[in-house]
Amino acid sequence: MANDKSSMQLVANGILKENPIFRLALSMCPAVGISTTVMNGFMLGVAVLFVQVCSSLTISTVKNFIHPRIRIPTYTLTIATWVTVIDMVLAAYMPEAYSKMGIFVKLIVAFAIITMRLEMFACKEPVGASFWDGLGMGMGFMIGMMTIGLVRELLGSGTILGYDVLGFKPLLFFILPSAGFFVVGLMMAFFNYIEIFYKRQKGFKS
Amino acid sequence: MNLARIRLVSLLALLCAFIPGLVHAQELISKQSFGEKNEIILKFSIEVNKAQAADINNYSVIEEQDPDIRLELASAVPNYAGDGVSLHFKGPLNTTKTHIVTVKNLSGDTVSVVKVSKPYLGYLFSILISALLINNFVFTKYLGLCVFFGTSKRKSTAKGMGVVFTMVMVVSALMSWFFFNFILIPYNLNFLQIVVFIGLVSLTVQAVDTILRKVNPILFNSFGVYLVLVIANCVIIAVPLMMANNKFNIFETFMLALGAGGGFLLALYLMSSVSERMQLAKIPPTFKGLPIAFIVAGQFALAFLGFSGLQIF
Amino acid sequence: MKNIFTIIIRLTLSCLVAAFVMGLFFVLTSKAKKHNEHVNEEKTMYSLLGYKDVASVPQTVKLYAVYRYIVTDLKGKSIAYLVPTGQGASVGFSFITLDLDGKLIDQKPVTVSADDAAEQESRDKAIKVALGSGKEIAYAEDKTIIVTENGARTAYLINGKFPGFKASISVMLALKPDFGIRGMAIVEHEEDPGLGAEIEKKYFKNQFIDKSFAALKTLDVVKEPLPEGYRKSLEGPLDNADDEKILQQYKDHAIYALTGATISSRSVTNGVKGTVAKFAYRINILDNVLKEQNIVVPF
Repeated sequence: MANDKSSMQLVANGILKENPIFRLALSMCPAVGISTTVMNGFMLGVAVLFVQVCSSLTISTVKNFIHPRIRIPTYTLTIATWVTVIDMVLAAYMPEAYSKMGIFVKLIVAFAIITMRLEMFACKEPVGASFWDGLGMGMGFMIGMMTIGLVRELLGSGTILGYDVLGFKPLLFFILPSAGFFVVGLMMAFFNYIEIFYKRQKGFKS
Repeated sequence: MNLARIRLVSLLALLCAFIPGLVHAQELISKQSFGEKNEIILKFSIEVNKAQAADINNYSVIEEQDPDIRLELASAVPNYAGDGVSLHFKGPLNTTKTHIVTVKNLSGDTVSVVKVSKPYLGYLFSILISALLINNFVFTKYLGLCVFFGTSKRKSTAKGMGVVFTMVMVVSALMSWFFFNFILIPYNLNFLQIVVFIGLVSLTVQAVDTILRKVNPILFNSFGVYLVLVIANCVIIAVPLMMANNKFNIFETFMLALGAGGGFLLALYLMSSVSERMQLAKIPPTFKGLPIAFIVAGQFALAFLGFSGLQIF
Repeated sequence: MKNIFTIIIRLTLSCLVAAFVMGLFFVLTSKAKKHNEHVNEEKTMYSLLGYKDVASVPQTVKLYAVYRYIVTDLKGKSIAYLVPTGQGASVGFSFITLDLDGKLIDQKPVTVSADDAAEQESRDKAIKVALGSGKEIAYAEDKTIIVTENGARTAYLINGKFPGFKASISVMLALKPDFGIRGMAIVEHEEDPGLGAEIEKKYFKNQFIDKSFAALKTLDVVKEPLPEGYRKSLEGPLDNADDEKILQQYKDHAIYALTGATISSRSVTNGVKGTVAKFAYRINILDNVLKEQNIVVPF
């Protein structure tokens, strides 16, 4: 039962086993679109983390008051409210980072991952567990975004977080938006490879 | 008897539409447009004195927003027949702005004023092409990817999803426009944008679902399953957000929605065509499924990069 | 039936709660947002003038803002400026209306504090009060900052917006009193990273520095590679003698286009040309009127 999992296990689950970007293949729009630098990935990851955690907490707290027929509209309303909140906060306190992300902060409302998580977890589990699960999922997303951002920034402009690491620009191609597809595809293939390799090892052992 | 009446009424209506044209025949300038390189071309309804037409002091040109700055003319070249003139300017013309041309001394004492701007239909069409090709929502803006990869395995699913999506897109975009302009802005409730737009989308999806179920169950069986996926699509909310950002009017919103839906359909169709071929190809096991789909999509995105900067009108 | 009733009530309740939460955050953050915009604009302005921040601006340097409006009444359109008038301690504001040929129509005093004049809403209201009925005013989105040191003009700060390769590009220009360019900052753009977005980089932006007003009129863009020595000087701190010599050498040269972004380079060059030309024309007219009518201004 999910109740028996400790909080740490829930978080680890979100980051590794059910990582939204690489394993569940959900919410890929920002992964491809704005993961041009690590900073972008981090900021959007923070925004998604915030929305995920707050929505999970809210739904978990009021789960007994939600009428089953209007489940989905309630989830949508909650997510939209928190997205509006984080959108306003980011626009007011971090305008430069916000302007780089453009329309993607507002689009968090359409991410399937958050709705799915609310549907599958938050409306059944207690508040504490929902919080850790939300945290795990959000962190998984953030780590995924930052990894892709790292690869693209390093190979595209030779910098990490703005610091010139390589001293030259290897391939401008990686900053161009279309490279997002390639990088994500290759990273998924990489994860696939690891899984197949691991299974093959296990197969040899047993 | 009814048919004859209808014919008479429509004939009268058509004639009425021409009357303004007849009245305007008295105006000096019959046609005006931007020329090729920093010029404005005027066509007159009567023949004018070529010497007068070539005198740049008879013309005064301003941009509509800057009525106090007269643009400097380099020369005025009358055409061979004497019923038109081409005005050449010293500096570059900003053809995106409406220009106002005042002409005097060419037909007695009358002063004629005309507005020169790019044709509005052309502008609307350019929004459509922009959303369809240049700023394709899937390949250039990277929105709607989750649904994209899910429904692009076969041509039939692709077509179904694309059509349903376009329908819902247009309806919800128009509804969002009404809400935005008549409720959100007047009452200063702009921060409720996201909630209102997503609410309208859900409403549209629910309405289309119910209507389709009752009216055409056969259609519902083939397309109904895609309706639920529409909500999870980033594009459906990106279009109202763009509309709110750029403050489009209703025609521009319609064109944007049509272009977005059309672009999505195009992207799905292209992807599914390749997908069907790929199923016959030998793909290494690590790449099977999503990874190769991403790489193919990346190649399409590269191809669509070629449309960048295209300007039709 | 009861089911639907409960559903509707619960949904409405949740909507109201959600709206309340969002409204709360909106009120809290909108002030911070305005403050941030203001601070950002100030930072760009001072860096263009050569000061690191507000604190390092000496007391003798003062900034005055002039706002341009379009006034429509029964007779047609006219241009108007909200100008600070007076000298020393008694600086107030006047709304000066000119006709399209540059002749004064009328001048009305406007009672508004300096802070209120910076906010468009309060400024518009004060002007409407001064003008009375029968006239419509529209802010032409044109703010000019005149910088004086000890009463003499040292620079102008103007904004320009023009179409770029993708969407429009907004720039802020610092001009010398003779309308030569002192500096340029790219405020907003939507160009491609690595291609058009390079207009933000020093090796493109700084090419405009020290171009005279006459050179601007015929300024063109050449598709040649940027000479290495010129590039180094452009990206350097611009204050040592060797760099100065190289920069002087290229002072009247055309603008070297960005690799792979010729259209963006052309858009910026043409945009700057147009903006400066229009500004020079307008400020000359305004200065003539101020001199003819003996209107005392602090700049």
